[in-house]
Amino acid sequence: MKKIQCLLCFLLVGLSYSVFAAKLSYLLEPQKIADDTWLLQGKLEDFTRKNGGNIVNTAFIVTEDGVVVFDTGPSKRYGEAMRQVISSITDKPVVHVFNSHHHPDHFLGNQAFNDTKIWALPETGKLIAQHGNAFAENMYRLVGDWMRSTEVQLPTEPLDIAAVPLMAVGKHHFRFFKMVGHSGADLLMLDETTGVLFASDIVFYQRALTTPHTPSLSVWIENLEQLKNWQYNTIVPGHGPVDTTGLAVEQMIDYLHWLDNTLTAAASQGLSMNEVMALPIDERFSGISLTRSEFVRSVFHLYSRYEEASF
Amino acid sequence: MRFINVILCRVTLLLCFVVSPALHASDDPLQSPMWDYLRNVFLGDTPYQFDDRIVVSVPPFAEDPTQVPVTVDATGLSEKIEKIVVWADLNPIQHIYTYYPLKDVKPNVSLRIKVQQATPIRAAVLTKKGHWLIGTSYLDAAGGGCTTPSVANASPYWESHLGEISAKKFQREAFGRYKFKVVHPMDTGLVDAIPEFYLQQLELRDAQGDALVKMDLSQPVSENPVFSFDVTQPSAQHRLWLRDNNGNEFEQPL
Repeated sequence: MKKIQCLLCFLLVGLSYSVFAAKLSYLLEPQKIADDTWLLQGKLEDFTRKNGGNIVNTAFIVTEDGVVVFDTGPSKRYGEAMRQVISSITDKPVVHVFNSHHHPDHFLGNQAFNDTKIWALPETGKLIAQHGNAFAENMYRLVGDWMRSTEVQLPTEPLDIAAVPLMAVGKHHFRFFKMVGHSGADLLMLDETTGVLFASDIVFYQRALTTPHTPSLSVWIENLEQLKNWQYNTIVPGHGPVDTTGLAVEQMIDYLHWLDNTLTAAASQGLSMNEVMALPIDERFSGISLTRSEFVRSVFHLYSRYEEASF
Repeated sequence: MRFINVILCRVTLLLCFVVSPALHASDDPLQSPMWDYLRNVFLGDTPYQFDDRIVVSVPPFAEDPTQVPVTVDATGLSEKIEKIVVWADLNPIQHIYTYYPLKDVKPNVSLRIKVQQATPIRAAVLTKKGHWLIGTSYLDAAGGGCTTPSVANASPYWESHLGEISAKKFQREAFGRYKFKVVHPMDTGLVDAIPEFYLQQLELRDAQGDALVKMDLSQPVSENPVFSFDVTQPSAQHRLWLRDNNGNEFEQPL
């Protein structure tokens, strides 16, 4: 009797593991945000073993001549899930994939698209070749098994915007812009046919922005001021909900100014890095998720430059 | 036979009791495997106690493992301080610095360090009366800071600027704060084919040459280190003096 109980116990434990393992699926829900245009919105969270790194926005546009994909997500598993979503909506093949920049949550799904052209800014291609493996390793550490079999798949087509500022796919006309404010090489894509701007991580909305590779906050602010003058009706941020009101860009500029002023003031008072990390964050940003942890990271990334300027 | 068994059992039990205090986990709040060993290295076999008045501030995560800010604030202690020894349990080189507050300073020191992995950071204060009081904090990290080549190794900039000191005095509430940056690669010696090359000694001196602060530095202090000290007589004239392990001396009025 005891033996049978034991056996049952083992079976149950085994079963629960396999059930748990089977639960690692992203359950992506496509939102139609414009004609032919679908968004897979990520969570307003940091990378965790629960969310599998699904904290990023990816999107695809279904044209008569095939599907255009903007960013491929944080893992091979995500890329495959994205492809499944696409094939549940259309029979058209994926013809163009774009990687907005070299951060891991935006390109590590590339393996699922290795039968198509993967475009990125030439600098982005270089940065992925240089840092991609380290980023991937860090993602394995942060989200674990979700990353299984994920490897760096480099973009195949360098996108020379000077030569190709515009690309027509089916009835959709895509215009490309290069900015630098977030990562040093940020690709933005405007669908002139629908008025949707895929803003890459130049824009975050309701989720604190990240600064690991920003050339400077003032450059980022300049980029956003520029972007305000473009013609579009909908903005798809790299992280956070779609915006049709212009508030996303305003929030970005407001926060970047606040961050810049806070770090400047702190450096002029001689605060140490740890003291700066503990400073209060203005009330008006309390609705934005992860402000504290991203503020601390930004102090890490940027404060020594402000300190240097104060000497 | 049974009798012998019982006896053996009891002896084993008894042994367990006798040995267990030695095997028993230490009183370290972070339960670090290195605590007992390093305590012995830095404090010797003397009594000590953990004390919350010594505040060791570190970020929640070492975003950049080559530049992790560590602030040790012992201003909450009423006891006079002989020295403060600061180390990271799980670094390949544990000792970070020893700080001697000699006169006219508040025991509040900030600098940045390299870490190789997540680790407890300790600040052990030896009071003038001979008591050891320990402040402690846990630093989470992904690692790699000590075995990454210094930025200097990829650029010749440091060769013509070695030992250059930028300094600034800030007026804080009722005291002054010095912050200074020294150009130095601070090579740990743990990177292949790059010998150790780091600042070993630092003194903040007054106009007469008497030291306010002395520090012994070790390899984990970050490249181009930025130090900050709080002084109680901010209007006085001070000089900074440093020496590295190659015997180079650097001195500058502040």
